Amino acid sequence: MQLYDDYKDHVDFLTIYIREAHPQDEWQMKSNLKDKDDVCYTQPKNLEQRVAIANDFTKRFKFSVPFGIDQMGNAANDAYAAWPERLYVIDETGHISYKGGNGPFKYDPKEVRAWLAQRYGEVKHPEAAATSAEKKS
Amino acid sequence: MNPVVKWGLISVGVLLVAAYAGLSVMAGGPKDALFMLRYALPHMHRGALKVGDDAPDAVLVDLDGASRFHIRERTGARPLVLVFGSFT
Repeated sequence: MQLYDDYKDHVDFLTIYIREAHPQDEWQMKSNLKDKDDVCYTQPKNLEQRVAIANDFTKRFKFSVPFGIDQMGNAANDAYAAWPERLYVIDETGHISYKGGNGPFKYDPKEVRAWLAQRYGEVKHPEAAATSAEKKS
Repeated sequence: MNPVVKWGLISVGVLLVAAYAGLSVMAGGPKDALFMLRYALPHMHRGALKVGDDAPDAVLVDLDGASRFHIRERTGARPLVLVFGSFT
């Protein structure tokens, strides 16, 4: 996750794994099917199942961002109205400093990047800018 | 039937069909719209939290499936970015 790599020296990150958004036994997305992204899981019925899927995720993407899993009571999800995905920033005093919109349409990591850039400066990626310039030409 | 009631019902019907059509476009199809109504909308909430509120705490489980920790254990020294999501 580029945002993590760019700002981990300044802020802490915590990924909180919540109830599945598009499991096979609910609203499965076509993109999740075996012949595409192969993300086929049923909604976990117990903590062991949720932990297992979370581990599959971190292994598949070599995900290095610190990680925590919401328990089956969904306390974190409910407290933060997080489902299906959302971003927050908590400041040093323990207060909400940024509350992102609900995914998928209002989930915008660029807003968090802007928050971080305002505080710690923008992190540019010359190789990404060069690739973008090549594509335009 | 009273014409006002009749036209009122027709208008509501047309609005419902239009709303379902709009939802179908958003969700990717009529079947997806049904799934969205059944599985997604009951779980999607704006939430009561606002900027400036105390960040709620909750106990999370580590990837080992056994260790537990509080969200608030990770706050304090530096800002904390919370990324909520799932695999599917």
